Amino acid sequence: MSRLFSRSNGVSEKRLNILIIDDNEQITKMISSFLDMSNHECTVVNEGKEGLESIKTKQYDSIILDLAMPEYDGYKILETLKTEDPTQLPKIIILTASNIPLDTVRRFKELGIASCLQKPVDIDQLLTKIKAVAG
Amino acid sequence: MLKIKQALFLIFGITSFIIFYIGFLNYITTEDKIIGIGILAFSIIASLGTIVATFYISNNITKPVESLARRMNEFSKTNTIQKASITDKEFQELYSLHKDFEDMAGKVGHSLEKEKQLNLELQEIDTRKSEFMSMISHELKTPIMPIKGYVQLLKKQELMGSLNEKQLDALNEIQISASKLEKLIQDILIAQKIELGKLSVEQNIFESGYIVENAFKAFSPICQSSGIDFKMSSAVSDNVYTDSDRIAQVFSNLITNAMSFVSPGTGKIEIGALDNADFVTFFVKDNGIGISEDQQKNIFKKFYQVDTSSTRKKEGSGLGLSICEGIIKTLGGKIWVKSTLNEGTVFFFDLPKAKIPVESFQINSN
Repeated sequence: MSRLFSRSNGVSEKRLNILIIDDNEQITKMISSFLDMSNHECTVVNEGKEGLESIKTKQYDSIILDLAMPEYDGYKILETLKTEDPTQLPKIIILTASNIPLDTVRRFKELGIASCLQKPVDIDQLLTKIKAVAG
Repeated sequence: MLKIKQALFLIFGITSFIIFYIGFLNYITTEDKIIGIGILAFSIIASLGTIVATFYISNNITKPVESLARRMNEFSKTNTIQKASITDKEFQELYSLHKDFEDMAGKVGHSLEKEKQLNLELQEIDTRKSEFMSMISHELKTPIMPIKGYVQLLKKQELMGSLNEKQLDALNEIQISASKLEKLIQDILIAQKIELGKLSVEQNIFESGYIVENAFKAFSPICQSSGIDFKMSSAVSDNVYTDSDRIAQVFSNLITNAMSFVSPGTGKIEIGALDNADFVTFFVKDNGIGISEDQQKNIFKKFYQVDTSSTRKKEGSGLGLSICEGIIKTLGGKIWVKSTLNEGTVFFFDLPKAKIPVESFQINSN
């Protein structure tokens, strides 16, 4: 796993390795452009099944996951990744346009999901959240 | 109350007794015994005949009338009637009455059934419309994200390269429009949730002062820049059991409304909370153009917009106040308005006080 350090605006920041799983290519392109420009490494996957493979094969500092995707959706990915110990779950930020009821948000937290954001989200807030989640 | 049967027996009973009595009187007073016996026999036969006729008439009048009453009762309960056993051998008027009632019940029943069916169809259309609106609003949220994101990115000139003043101005306009669109979509989604009874709230104990202060902090800068005198006066600081985010939204809608009704420079808006028995009454008061009594009746209806004046632009979706009402009702309170034209408007809303001992809870005031 790459642990590079970059220098941005004179402040030393850890270069994060981020995976984005979202079927909307415009959204993934926009976020990845922003993250690239902010000196973070970004992997984009526009399909659920492939996204799951990526999670399994490589370790990421943070994963941005969409829920509503055709064929293999975010819920299926979460179901597969579900672990006995919630702390063992990869650091996932759910980014969805769907309305998530409070009960589901609580269940996500119990599963070990780091955060749940609603589209459209402010990109600066998204980056702050990614940094917080990645530690 | 006397029944038809009883009345018939009373009248015909007395009549048959009188016939018999006359015959009997004749029998004991007449000298010619044969004529006397004849008249007595005739009077006995006549009075017996009257009694038999009474039975017949009584049965043929009361039974159909009772059956009609039964059928009417049945119809009022079920909107349908069974076929009657009455035949055209009965009294003609009663037979017609049954027949006409059957026709009428058939027509009314048919109309009611049609109306019921139409109502069901309308409900289904309404639910489908609400679901469609939710789906559309959800679909609209997705493309807004790249629009807003790229605008934000383009404004990061250190990353994307420098922009001249005109380009920055154009970007700002896109950003404002995208934000308005986002707010509109959010409003539609919340209004739909309220309509479908699916608005989720997370209630907790909050100080009323904290709620008022939060709204004040959120709107102070924009009021200041718009030249509006914005004040906060919290007479009480009771604890209310509510959802602070939803209430922030109510305050936001009411203050935004107030801002559109006051004049910059002389405009005044005041927010606060008052004690009201088991409730805390929050208010948003302005010295704007006011709302006429006619308009006050409609302002909480969806898509209704107060007609300000030809010089003012109508802004917003017309959903703001109906959303406020939906949220307040869901949180167990009520919302109302007091307004005088050209003097100003006050919107009030009640929230239930927290009944649980406050000491046992950590008050959320962060």
